[in-house]
Amino acid sequence: MGETKKVILRVKRQAGPKHAPRWEEFALNWRPAMNVIICLRDIAENPVTRDGKKTTPVTYESNCLEEVCGSCAMLINGKARMACSALVDSLPQPIRLEPLSKFPVVRDLAVDRSFMFESLKRVKAWIPIDGTYDLGEGPRMAPETQEQAYPLSRCISCGNCLEVCPQVNENNAFVGAAIISQVRLFNMHPTGAMHARERLEALMGPGGIADCANAQNCVKACPKEIPLTESIAEMNRQAWKQALLGWLFG
Amino acid sequence: MSAAATRPDRSYLLRKLHSLSGIVPVGAFLAEHFWSNSYALVGVAKYNEKSQELQTIPFRVIVEAAVIWLPILYHGGYGVYIWLKGKSNVSDYPWVGNWLYTLQRYTGLVAFAFIGWHVWTERFLTQGKSTYSDVEHALRNPYYLAFYVIGVLASSFHLGVGIWNFLCKWGLAATVQAQRAAGKLGATVGFVFSLVGILIVVSFRLNWHPFGHFVTLK
Ligand code: SF4
Ligand code: FES
Repeated sequence: MGETKKVILRVKRQAGPKHAPRWEEFALNWRPAMNVIICLRDIAENPVTRDGKKTTPVTYESNCLEEVCGSCAMLINGKARMACSALVDSLPQPIRLEPLSKFPVVRDLAVDRSFMFESLKRVKAWIPIDGTYDLGEGPRMAPETQEQAYPLSRCISCGNCLEVCPQVNENNAFVGAAIISQVRLFNMHPTGAMHARERLEALMGPGGIADCANAQNCVKACPKEIPLTESIAEMNRQAWKQALLGWLFG
Repeated sequence: MSAAATRPDRSYLLRKLHSLSGIVPVGAFLAEHFWSNSYALVGVAKYNEKSQELQTIPFRVIVEAAVIWLPILYHGGYGVYIWLKGKSNVSDYPWVGNWLYTLQRYTGLVAFAFIGWHVWTERFLTQGKSTYSDVEHALRNPYYLAFYVIGVLASSFHLGVGIWNFLCKWGLAATVQAQRAAGKLGATVGFVFSLVGILIVVSFRLNWHPFGHFVTLK
């Protein structure tokens, strides 16, 4: 009987936010239809490195395992991807796993993406439906608008679009494509539109839409195929129009 | 909600001004400059006549400063600041847009350096009275010739990509199809400017005036 096929994995590990990173290599038994999350689970079951040293299970985030929760984004062979949809058979080995580089590392492959959450709060990425009394039904949404809104609503806040953006880095607090696209989504909604001005104003603030330099990497990296460059262009137009009208007419 | 006036952040306005200034007046001036210099393709006398016309406009220094020097200084200076705030990752993600993003920064710097030298030698050292023979003389030096060619190509590329960026960043080309068309427009502009610019340089270098026979015809 031949030797079982192996999957070689190199994982960048870091014990905590302030610890120095180090690399560990693992050799796992190959199975059909393996993805990167399965590899990490196998390591958790038997946390032994390739050269036989005992180690700790690798920390990572995952939940849905079908590319809808957004938690498992990481650098796989240097590219921002979702680990649950990264099939081992389609990846050259050794497979290199690193945490996203634009967010602070919590431990190993788990990063803290609260920057995105804070940005979503800054632009009021929600629809106000609560009041001190029953606000009743909102206006209906035209089917055409629904069709435009649906793809935008699929954002899973994975952070890949920020990871690949040259304008998102430690010198620049650019909010990134996802947030701009969410402003478009909520401004498109008939009830959400009641806060349209404030959202645009937030986008014209520091780290806002003007920091986009049109490298157009975001749209290539988005696992949900959201038309991010269209969203940015559209919001850019709305923003400067609002700024100009505000300046001309107060 | 009250109709409170929108107050965009200052960095927003500076950034928009940077984007706009690249098209008007800087891009528009580049077009004018290539156009008036292509009179070299007609002939020496015609070129000198055209130059003199431009050199004798009223309020010359004010117009030059307001329409050319200050906008270029702002566009270049703020452009470098934008460059420093970004972090190119084209080696990790070698996509076309990402390449253009990176090249836009380098060509901008080359164009800025060339323009600085070009203005110094052809505007200030000649006391604003540059003639055909001044340029022709400069282009006899092979290093100057090379710098001219590089400067022309860098400026043309930067304007072409700039047009694409401008149309996207102002939302004038918002859909994928419109952005593709904007890209084609930018590529065409970049190519045409490169071609015309090189033809002008060749004209000076070889004393080649292909449109000259129209002058002698009458
Ligand atoms: S826009 Fe796409 S890449 Fe960006 S966070 Fe949302 S799903 Fe992820
Ligand atoms: S585990 Fe939910 S997107 Fe990968």
